[in-house]
Amino acid sequence: MKRLYLCFAAACFTLAACSNKPAPPDQTTATPSASTSVASERGDFGPPQGEPIHAVLTSPPNVPPPIHRNYPAKVIVELEVVEKEMPISEGVSYTFWTFGGTVPGSFIRVRQGDTVEFHLKNAPDSKMPHNIDLHGVTGPGGGAASSFTAPGHESQFTFKALNQGIYVYHCATAPVGMHIANGMYGLILVEPPEGLSPVDHEYYVMQGDFYTTGKYRQKGLQPFDMEKAIDENPTYVLFNGKEGSLTGDNALPAKTNEKVRLFVGNGGPNLISSFHVIGEIFDKVQPEGGTHPQENVQTTLIPAGGAAIVEFRTDVPGSYVMVDHSIFRAFNKGALGIIKVDGPEDKTIYSGKEVDSVYLGDRAEPNLQAVSTAAKAHAAGTLTQDEQIAAGKQLFTGTCSVCHQPNGEGLANVFPPLAKSDFLAADPKRAMTIVTHGLSGKITVNGHEFDSVMPPMAQLNDDEVANILTFVLNSWGNPGGRITKEEVAKARAAAPAAPAAEH
Amino acid sequence: MRMRQAWAWLGPILLALVALPAAAAEYVALPGGSFTSVLPADGKDAPAQVAPFQLRREPVTNAEFLAFVKSHPQWRRDKVASILADARYLTQWAGPDAPGEQALPQQPVTRVSWFAAQAYCESEQARLPSWYEWEFAAAADATRRDARDDPAWRESILGWYSRPSNAALPSVGGTSNAYGVRDLNGLVWEWVDDFNALMVASDSRDQNDPDILKFCGAGALSLQEKDNYAVLMRIAMLSALKAADTTNNLGFRCAKSE
Amino acid sequence: MKYLLPALAMLWLLLGGVARADTPLPGDSVYQLPVQLTDQDGRQQPLASRRGRPQLLTMFYSSCQMVCPMIIDTMRMTRNALDPAVRPRIDLLAVSFDPARDDVATLHDYAAKRKLAPAIWTLARAEPSQVRQLSSVLGLQYRQLPDGDFNHSSELILLDADGRIAARTTVIGRIDPAFIEAIGKVAAVRDGEE
Repeated sequence: MKRLYLCFAAACFTLAACSNKPAPPDQTTATPSASTSVASERGDFGPPQGEPIHAVLTSPPNVPPPIHRNYPAKVIVELEVVEKEMPISEGVSYTFWTFGGTVPGSFIRVRQGDTVEFHLKNAPDSKMPHNIDLHGVTGPGGGAASSFTAPGHESQFTFKALNQGIYVYHCATAPVGMHIANGMYGLILVEPPEGLSPVDHEYYVMQGDFYTTGKYRQKGLQPFDMEKAIDENPTYVLFNGKEGSLTGDNALPAKTNEKVRLFVGNGGPNLISSFHVIGEIFDKVQPEGGTHPQENVQTTLIPAGGAAIVEFRTDVPGSYVMVDHSIFRAFNKGALGIIKVDGPEDKTIYSGKEVDSVYLGDRAEPNLQAVSTAAKAHAAGTLTQDEQIAAGKQLFTGTCSVCHQPNGEGLANVFPPLAKSDFLAADPKRAMTIVTHGLSGKITVNGHEFDSVMPPMAQLNDDEVANILTFVLNSWGNPGGRITKEEVAKARAAAPAAPAAEH
Repeated sequence: MRMRQAWAWLGPILLALVALPAAAAEYVALPGGSFTSVLPADGKDAPAQVAPFQLRREPVTNAEFLAFVKSHPQWRRDKVASILADARYLTQWAGPDAPGEQALPQQPVTRVSWFAAQAYCESEQARLPSWYEWEFAAAADATRRDARDDPAWRESILGWYSRPSNAALPSVGGTSNAYGVRDLNGLVWEWVDDFNALMVASDSRDQNDPDILKFCGAGALSLQEKDNYAVLMRIAMLSALKAADTTNNLGFRCAKSE
Repeated sequence: MKYLLPALAMLWLLLGGVARADTPLPGDSVYQLPVQLTDQDGRQQPLASRRGRPQLLTMFYSSCQMVCPMIIDTMRMTRNALDPAVRPRIDLLAVSFDPARDDVATLHDYAAKRKLAPAIWTLARAEPSQVRQLSSVLGLQYRQLPDGDFNHSSELILLDADGRIAARTTVIGRIDPAFIEAIGKVAAVRDGEE
């Protein structure tokens, strides 16, 4: 009898237990299940399948590997909040509040349609409670309402990643601005179901503005400055939370002829980024992280609390500098990082410097004092020959010496000499017309034949010609004399029209 | 005659010995009054009315809490019910009734739950202060009774909150504020009696969100004086806690009604 | 002989009941908190005396116009939605946030007006400090306003026979199927079994 009773009891118990067992996951379905709900338009591919996956999180600048899966799964994400003092610049430290011990926080990578079971832990040493708002979550507060966690505690909530894209996550505990300013932000990538196109390198870069009571690079542990944050007056604007995080030995490596993809976020709290890579053009940009790419972009805007995906192909080696092109942020506040590309040169794409020659400009002589003295004197009617010679000397150096040489020697067989020139001495006045209208054809100067073309110096005005010729006549053993502006004007007018100036 | 004299001496000595722990707790009288709180009383802008009260000059120390645990063994960490204190309760002590070297006698006791703090205050014929009483007392700096308009003072308090709590705690007994109370700002977070009446939305951006049913006609409390970030952080901290929770930097002090 | 089976069953149940009364109270049981309740008929009992039967529990106050009537209605609806075999196995308890105004007479009138049968319903008050403690252990929040009304969170809480919180729901105004299922499970566990 007792045995019968016990069997009955056992049966009841087993039945009760059985009714609680969940149905085993269907592992065979690979295609998304058909659904007529609105959510499926955005990416509700049905319930998760297969074993739960523990998400691989990475610290910046690294990105978890691409997902190779064609069904929605349950993904378990465990993220810890740690408050810690770290260097922000050389000799300067700051108390950062971090997701996963880094600024920006760990990179999370899931697939559209995944069911994410999110565990937020707050280290026991933390002073503050924290939560998380993921911009990829559809639900109140982006998860913030469900993840408010006191120090030494853990919260869990679950969401379905309905939309593909690259999304910012950040802490949303009061005062929100301070939590974000202390570094509590990161990126979560929700891959489209077909995945992203293959590239050679994927990197994680996130800009943020920082506010300290001390000045830029003032040494020591710097506290957060709330007034500066409200005034939107940052002390530092940095990639990945630290000056030098992506320079020198920490530069992002790549080789020539590789495809590089950057996931670029902007945690703010305040500033918008004008993201640019010096020397590269973005072949493809998903602006604001949206689905439809733009091509051939030089600089892309990344809003505070936003992100973008940029791709480019490396062609020639060198250091390519990532900046916020609000340029004082790059050079005076630290918004600077480097992509170091190694490999063989390709001169057809970029040659490097080919020629380095002297450029005199129109007036090579930096000091044109004599010219302005002469001009004043002429206007006053007091111009002396000496003033003309001085002015003419400066002007000669800028214009004539290129060919006739600074000492009037000329160039054998090319440019006739002006020094002790018998040609000049034979008819000094003739020189006026030569300068204003040019000269071609055979001439003999000092026993040498010259058959060249001197172009008209149409850029010289009358008193410039007068001063130059006065100088020449009184230099290098020439007979001397003086040419006036009025004479030049007359000679210019009398001669037939000069051809267009070529100089 | 001589016997009576002997007792006359012995009596007070015995009394003093017994009363010694209680005598160590000094309370200071505060005047109370009308007070502009960060949490308006009616949910909009009404000031809080704080009746005159007494507040402990300093937070409860390890030494004082040890005496309590010895005389109330149900509050030992190896005996306490898990619903009244979480697994980290008093774990900074070397043993259930021995603080050890890491928990110095004059340091404020931390890793205590609200229930434990309440029970301690009851043993002192006191109670936990209300949020308004605490906020009232903490608004004072060394010279002024209400220093909250001074940005420099607010900034200095904010500085403490930005530093993580992995350094050893200093002892109680810092500078007194204008009321004669010490260590309200800058030492440890402190429990208040109505910590679970701080019904702010756990997502603090939801202020004025009309989820009226959630809190029976009011929605979550909206916070005034958003410049006073240190107070906001304190409210955020308290509203994140449950009564059995303990943290490394959360202690308490007691209050008495007049 | 045919009486043997039921007799043995009775004995077994009895023994089970006795055995449980001797088992120590679990550390996470709400009954660890010494709260003294006075009900709508003036009877005084410690909260812990309710150990042994699952409890459907909430907090309210009688002058609350908005949500509290709905809370009471939801408790009634929830009980009616239970399996008839489960219904008599649970007790309903509503404790007031407002002991100052909710004295025994007020609670009695409230129960009468809303037809809350005393065999099923206990409306209770406790001293103010104990009200705060009870709300803390249950995870409920409340705050008194200057005009005497209260802001408070609204939940139905299920305690198992040993006083551990087995389930809770914030769904007010209609049935929460998951909560109904939880009650069924807790109440279906036979006496003596864990």
